[in-house]
Amino acid sequence: MEISTQKQMQPPVIKAEEKVTSPWAEAWYSFKKNKLALVGTGIVIFFILLAIFAPLIAPEGINDQKMSVRLQAPSADHWFGTDDFGRDIFSRVVYGARISLWVGTFAVMGSIIVGCLLGILAGYYGKWVDSLISRIFDIMLAFPSILLAIAIVAVLGPSLRNALIAIAIINIPNFGRLIRSRVLSVKEEEYIMAAKAVGMKDSRILFQHILPNSMAPIIVQGTLAIATAIIEAAALGFLGLGADAPNPEWGKMLADAKQFMIQAPWTMIFPGLAIMLTVLGFNLMGDGLRDALDPRMKN
Amino acid sequence: MKRRFGLMFFAFILILSLGLAGCSNESGGKKTGGESGSDGGSSSGGTLVFGRGGDSTSLDPAVTTEGEAFKVTKNIYETLIEFGEQDTEINPGLAESWEESPDGLKHTLKLRKGVKFHDGTDFNAEAVVFNFERWKAGNKEQFYYYNSQFGDVIKEVKAVDEHTVEFTLNRILAPFYKNLAMSPFGIASPDAVKEHGDKFIENPVGTGPFKFKEWKRNDRVTLVKNEDYWKEGLPKLDEVIFRVIPENSARLNALNTGEVDIIDGVNFSDVEAIEGNPDLQTFYRPSLNVAYLGLTNTRGPLKEKKVRQALNYAVNKQSLIDAFYAGAAEPAINPMPKSVAGYNDAVKDYEYNPEKAKELLKEAGFENGFEIELWAMPVPRPYMPDGKKVAEAIQKDFADIGVKAKIVSYEWATYLEKARMGEADTFLLGWTGDNGDADNFLYVLLDQDNIDSNNYARYENQEVHDLFIKAQSTNDQAEREKLYKEAQVLIKEDAPWIPLIHSEPALAGRADVTGFKAHPTGSDELATVEFKK
Repeated sequence: MEISTQKQMQPPVIKAEEKVTSPWAEAWYSFKKNKLALVGTGIVIFFILLAIFAPLIAPEGINDQKMSVRLQAPSADHWFGTDDFGRDIFSRVVYGARISLWVGTFAVMGSIIVGCLLGILAGYYGKWVDSLISRIFDIMLAFPSILLAIAIVAVLGPSLRNALIAIAIINIPNFGRLIRSRVLSVKEEEYIMAAKAVGMKDSRILFQHILPNSMAPIIVQGTLAIATAIIEAAALGFLGLGADAPNPEWGKMLADAKQFMIQAPWTMIFPGLAIMLTVLGFNLMGDGLRDALDPRMKN
Repeated sequence: MKRRFGLMFFAFILILSLGLAGCSNESGGKKTGGESGSDGGSSSGGTLVFGRGGDSTSLDPAVTTEGEAFKVTKNIYETLIEFGEQDTEINPGLAESWEESPDGLKHTLKLRKGVKFHDGTDFNAEAVVFNFERWKAGNKEQFYYYNSQFGDVIKEVKAVDEHTVEFTLNRILAPFYKNLAMSPFGIASPDAVKEHGDKFIENPVGTGPFKFKEWKRNDRVTLVKNEDYWKEGLPKLDEVIFRVIPENSARLNALNTGEVDIIDGVNFSDVEAIEGNPDLQTFYRPSLNVAYLGLTNTRGPLKEKKVRQALNYAVNKQSLIDAFYAGAAEPAINPMPKSVAGYNDAVKDYEYNPEKAKELLKEAGFENGFEIELWAMPVPRPYMPDGKKVAEAIQKDFADIGVKAKIVSYEWATYLEKARMGEADTFLLGWTGDNGDADNFLYVLLDQDNIDSNNYARYENQEVHDLFIKAQSTNDQAEREKLYKEAQVLIKEDAPWIPLIHSEPALAGRADVTGFKAHPTGSDELATVEFKK
């Protein structure tokens, strides 16, 4: 941020120095003032660190079964208690952060890439390309998203990777529509007209001018989408269509625990809390970003 | 591709059925609640609702080997010989007495007089002959239990007079009478068979204590009292309804609310809570089962005997029992439970010893382990209430010796079909004995004749086969036991399975149910059941 501000300031300008800041720096300034957004960012960073340093933090492995200590309540030895295989729930929740963040991030990245491509094509070229792509999006949005995800996983075969693919696919139309509408408005701007007039190639206009100028809403939507993607991954895991056996995916941990809900509630509470917290973190952060990046939200 | 569409279809059906289950539970609950409310005052026997995990595949017991089917037909049909109340000793049934020729090849049965089928026709020697000819004439696919139990052994069945039947055999069949007592060989009304043809599987007519009324697939089978039943004073109930509630905990809930009166497939972890509830009681089914992990003998590394033995050393059975059976089970050593005559006590189990297992793998040339599939059954069975959890524990045991197992599961019918055709590497399965004879475990599950049938592990050993046939063809009980004991030693050495557990399945009922006796074969006669007043 600092650097870009400097760059902007390099050309000698007449206006007061304080006022001339890049839109990014301005956004960062208003983001910093938003307490909730900072809390959300804190939570997200916490879980990212948890995921990176899982082997150092977790006292046990993900599948260290010890039947002699099954279903034990939280204690000094096992902070979050043990599950029905005598595995340390704390360790599994910590490792589970890796899976959830991995699925959330990569699924959303996948949908952004494909969604942007399709959205740009639809918005920029219009006509039948637009109709075709938009109708496909309409069809996909007509399905309840989780049902579509279940169907896709059922076709591909249940596994974590396929769950990721399914989640990426169901989120494509959201990004596609978003980018299409951005492209529609940006392409009428004067600088694009100018670029066209100079004879710049379509691809260069698209990727050097239109795309960068449509980034802000995508970042906002992307952050919020990670939250939904994590929930969807957990839902698939809960239905037995996500991570397979020993993997400590939070949704799967919930499904395994539901039998012991009354007898050993900690088997459900901690994975549930983990899901809730990460989703909350991404949502707060995403809301903060929207407030900061959306020009209309400024007073 | 086909399988994928199947799976997809299955997923949709699952969702659909979840929705429907929600609706039907509610309406069903109200209805039966009203009915049982009205029995209290009147002097009638009332309606008993039996909650179970799966629907019948057929109501003609002759075309299936599946336990949920027999559970119902046991109360509609009767067999010539009957098992004891809670054992598999032979007792008079539709036959009052029987006689065997000195060479063991001719059996003469005297039939009970004055018995009528539910459609009013007489039960007599002609009807018995008709049934056996029907099973014999049908193709192997259709009457496949008849073929594996009597197939080429019964030469002729003849009506000597109105109430006497004579069986002529090609060779001695030691478990002949026990086989006659099995639920699949219930005697059906010849008129009804002729009348209904292909539809006979949903229009059963027998001589039993209850008459068939209605079958709503995947929901309920309703039976009503047979007023003309030949046993004096029985049955006590007016009506019996078998209801399907797939989820173990939902079934227990239905029992708690009084929607159903008896349930099977109780989670072992729930037993304590049931016993502490004064409104409920528990029943135990005498153990006559075995749960095992089949090691398909024709696939990859599993072709090697040493590998199969190594896997046997790797599994910690006691920890499975502690974790998933609440201790109500014992580790299995042989392919049949101890109560079956001919069980070999001298056979030593492969003890839990991962080090030994690794050594054996090294000897077999798999020092770095290998990858296999581990199939887990999708439904609760009496011998294994939660296949997926057991699979996860075994997966860990295998991982400890360097064998990487991937847990796989299919919808139940597909699972059985694929495993039967030898498509699984290792698979969880089990068996509940149908007549309590060693033949019904060892020969049925492990003889090379039964590959493509119940020998899912595709185990083949000529020596073992010879022992089985010899044991079938002699009536000398001591000799038979000796032969089966010998066979068990060979089987242990070859290790076609990992025998896991013999369990004592738990059932539960409302406290006012009396006279219910859980039968080891899994088919319970409900004629003597009544409600305490």
